[in-house]
Amino acid sequence: MRTFLAAAAAIVAVLVVIAFYPGGGPKLNLNATGGPRMLAGAPAQSFPVKRIDGAADGLDRYRGQVVVMNLWATWCPPCREEMPALQKLYEEYHPRGVIVLGVDQGEASRVAAKYAREHGVTYPILIDEDQQYGRAYAAVGLPTTIVIGRDGHIVKGIDGQLTLAQMREALAPALRAQ
Amino acid sequence: MNRVTALAVSVVCIGLVVAQDVAPLADFFHTWQYATALALGALVLIAYANAALKGQDGMLGKRCTLAIAGALVVTLTGIVSGLLGPDTQRVTHAPGTVAPIPDLHAAAFFTAADAQSIAAGNAPIVIRRPGHRDVEVGPNERRFLQSSVLLLQPTHAAFVEVRDASGDRLTVTQPTNASFLSPVLLFPNEQEIAGKKLPFDTFAVPALQRVVKTVYLPGEMTTSLRVPPSYAGKPALLFAVDDDRGSSHGIAIAPDGLDVTIAGMRLRGTIGSYPTLVVASAPEPIALAAGVALFLAGITWMLIGFVAGRPAALTVKSPSGS
Repeated sequence: MRTFLAAAAAIVAVLVVIAFYPGGGPKLNLNATGGPRMLAGAPAQSFPVKRIDGAADGLDRYRGQVVVMNLWATWCPPCREEMPALQKLYEEYHPRGVIVLGVDQGEASRVAAKYAREHGVTYPILIDEDQQYGRAYAAVGLPTTIVIGRDGHIVKGIDGQLTLAQMREALAPALRAQ
Repeated sequence: MNRVTALAVSVVCIGLVVAQDVAPLADFFHTWQYATALALGALVLIAYANAALKGQDGMLGKRCTLAIAGALVVTLTGIVSGLLGPDTQRVTHAPGTVAPIPDLHAAAFFTAADAQSIAAGNAPIVIRRPGHRDVEVGPNERRFLQSSVLLLQPTHAAFVEVRDASGDRLTVTQPTNASFLSPVLLFPNEQEIAGKKLPFDTFAVPALQRVVKTVYLPGEMTTSLRVPPSYAGKPALLFAVDDDRGSSHGIAIAPDGLDVTIAGMRLRGTIGSYPTLVVASAPEPIALAAGVALFLAGITWMLIGFVAGRPAALTVKSPSGS
């Protein structure tokens, strides 16, 4: 009987250990206070949307490449001011396998396409009418820029307008990680 | 301490812990009185088991300790859930966002929702923990994690779409909300109208410098309002449009899924629900099941011993041998 009770106690101990074992693997950032900065290290979420030319697209189609994803809208003055620098970044880094992806938040394709055409934007522009990317990437304002590594994980999330130099700086860690 | 008392205490303790598993949100299970009752029960069970193991209750008493051990496992599971489990918390977040759940060392992914899933109210929430499989919690499901139970409670929600006069979609923002770019209103505030406190939320249309205050009108209020007859008695939204300097640009009532034109915009609200995640402490189900199984095994073993040890008269053959 004592043997049995000892065995029962051992079973209980094992169950308690199993129940409270925290596990291994990558850590989740549980102390973040919000905003895109907290997303570093998390897997990048993708949602199926369309490009301004109507073709189906989504972030997951660029897996294996370094992606600079810029959430923007035509009514947003800092977004408009930032776009020439994004275009330069695209022209400079695209030959090295970097994708610059503009994701318009909540506007009609026609509006975004007109703006891109008039301002010489040649990097891909996606139309996210339901603003799914904005929510998933914890945007607290526009523009919001997310750098995604080749492994599909977020390297950096940045709120607000960036200069070309700041974009290069944000991109560097993702390029170094092979 | 006799065997019947010990078994009665076992049944009460098991009943309490199972009841906590069934109704984990009940206030009683999160009080010190509940934890104290279980602790006292555990002491009674330990005292009996100690005496029985010393042979003070005969062979049946020794067998009974197996059932007592099962009851103790269940009781301790209940105590542990009370001491180590989290306080009940309700987490409301916008679709597509992530909320940390530090008590579980986990993150809750509030799944993306479009107008259809808001109308259907069937969006799940996914719990992710390092080194563990994802756990999806659906609308009518409950999931156990460690000493917690996770379940969903529906809250009022509306998916709003805004178009300009030419029908082009416009960006919706919620500057006062943690999820700035969400077109889903979760009505965290209340507005008093006609003596009733009604769910209230606000969103902005920055392209047109408009702020739209939105009140959720329950079905019983729309019967007396000017809405299409087929929408009377169903929930609707009241939109009040201001510009960003606070000047009013009109009010409109929008039945579920219908466009209304106001202040140069076409507004549509799809009404439904989106889940709030509820995390409450609850007994660990594997330990609970193991304890109950042990208890039942002990009772069975004891009954076998009881039947086997009954007076021989029951099995004595008649003298005639016929």
